[in-house]
Amino acid sequence: MNEQADILRATDIAFAYRPGEPVLRGVSISAAPGRFTCLLGPNGSGKTTLLRCLLGQLAPSSGTIELGGRALRNYRPRELARVLAYVPQQPASSLAFSAGEIVLMGRYAHTGPLGLAGPGDLAVAREAMKMTDTLGFADRTLDELSGGEAQRVMIARALAQQPAVILLDEPTSHLDIRHQLNIYRMMRRLAHDWPMAVVCVSHDVNVAARLADELVLMRAGLVVAAGTPAQTIRQDLLSHTYDVPVDLIATPDGGAPMVRAKWAAPEEKPQ
Amino acid sequence: MTAPDAKTGRDDVRASLSLGRLILWAAALLAAAVVVGGACTLVGVIRLSDLTRQIWATRATQMLTAGIVGASLAAGGLALQGLMRNPLAEPYILGISSGAGVGVMMGLAAAARLSLPAWASTPVLAFLGAMASCLAVYLVAQRRGRLDPYSLILSGVIVNVFNGAIMLAGNLYIDPHRIADLTYWAMGQLPDSTPTALLAVCGSCIVAGWAVLMANSAAYNVLGLGDDVAASSGVSVNRLRLATFGAVGVMTAAAVALAGPIGFLGLIVPHVCRMTFGPDHRLGMIVTPLAGAIFLMIAETLCRSLGSAMGLGRVPVGILTALAGGPFFIFLLRTRFRGAAA
Repeated sequence: MNEQADILRATDIAFAYRPGEPVLRGVSISAAPGRFTCLLGPNGSGKTTLLRCLLGQLAPSSGTIELGGRALRNYRPRELARVLAYVPQQPASSLAFSAGEIVLMGRYAHTGPLGLAGPGDLAVAREAMKMTDTLGFADRTLDELSGGEAQRVMIARALAQQPAVILLDEPTSHLDIRHQLNIYRMMRRLAHDWPMAVVCVSHDVNVAARLADELVLMRAGLVVAAGTPAQTIRQDLLSHTYDVPVDLIATPDGGAPMVRAKWAAPEEKPQ
Repeated sequence: MTAPDAKTGRDDVRASLSLGRLILWAAALLAAAVVVGGACTLVGVIRLSDLTRQIWATRATQMLTAGIVGASLAAGGLALQGLMRNPLAEPYILGISSGAGVGVMMGLAAAARLSLPAWASTPVLAFLGAMASCLAVYLVAQRRGRLDPYSLILSGVIVNVFNGAIMLAGNLYIDPHRIADLTYWAMGQLPDSTPTALLAVCGSCIVAGWAVLMANSAAYNVLGLGDDVAASSGVSVNRLRLATFGAVGVMTAAAVALAGPIGFLGLIVPHVCRMTFGPDHRLGMIVTPLAGAIFLMIAETLCRSLGSAMGLGRVPVGILTALAGGPFFIFLLRTRFRGAAA
């Protein structure tokens, strides 16, 4: 792991879709090459809104976001795409493009108006597909792939942008545990080996705790805690974050403990 | 049977498109369009006994007009389908054609009153009408900047009804001797002769609009992955919407000023081209307009020659495209639209 200085830094940002109903209430977060950060928190805590602010698609009402020492809002879209890439929750293409062509679309910001790929673009796309182990089905369309394979194609597409930061929005929410683990391992590898800054909104605290370098716990538009899994996987913090009493269960491999909601939470006893 | 990925050497990224391939297809289809246009011109004059230069020129102009109009509507349909990720989007269905129609009707009235030349007043008012309809459809269908595909079609229906009412009302105030002409025009009928100035103005508008769509063709591909992915890939989604609506508005206005609102061509041709040439909008934006030109030249010739041969008189080509397009629309609705929603 070779951690470097922060490349993306949001300071005290606030955002509301409707006046008087703030979704983010002063959130600070940073990302650095070499670090795999996971955003955790219950539904409605503002994780996805924060991610959309970091993507430059929502403008915070206050606070600043800096990317590479420059205000995020001063980036032009093509310029931004060469630094920052995004992977959606659900891979989807309304057109029947092959996986290889979708990955090549990641070169949009690097190519001319017609987006015609040159040998350099092909090499980058090939490398991105090798990295995500998707080269074997470059000729197939998304419809012909499993959920995990399709999501890896979307990650390859993001990598083809050659970004310094990659943001992912619950990329494994519809995958089984094996594919979840695969994707999280891949994100960790990207952060450590490339190295790039990886920020992932996550719904699974256990996978995140095992593989992320940093966890950011969010609740009701605020950051409850941020730090290494050892610092943040604590009964009091997690109970507060998720608003449900939790147990921590030691794992046989001695890694981060398992987090599980208590069977009999006070408000909802079975009898 | 062999597994597609087993040592066939196919597990590699290849560019499906090169500049050479684009130029090749453009040349091939342009040549086909010229041949079809020539053939259709011949069919038109072959039954006439007194062949003069005049008749040849008139027929050739008719075919040129048909080609330009067909290209415009097909390219507009493809762009709207790409922009909205909706296979049913099309200038006619979304009410853009009828908006332009209202403008043309007002243009004719204005030209009569203010003694403006038709080539100046008609396209400008057609454009204003088309853009007003674009805006109305967009405002009705969008929610928080996102376009819902079902609302989109519904708002097109509403705008069409509204524009239709204005046009019908307009008929009340028009010189009774001209109502028959206007009725044919409103069904989508190419005129027997088109003033050269009008053809030149509309033709240039269509070429300029096409150039804007062509320049954005790669963006429609990326947009297929969703607004968020497209935006984070470097596509200015809002600018793309503005550019597309603006260009399609200009092109549709020009087409309607030339030939009246011709429906469903913008639905059928892009779809057939997609099935033949694949989903890539960069190739699509070259082959679709040329296929649209070929389609409308043939349809127009059928309506003109076969119609009279069968004793039906001349059938407006808009009727033929609507007869073919209605069932096609239902086919798309039943097969393609299910998964494309949201």
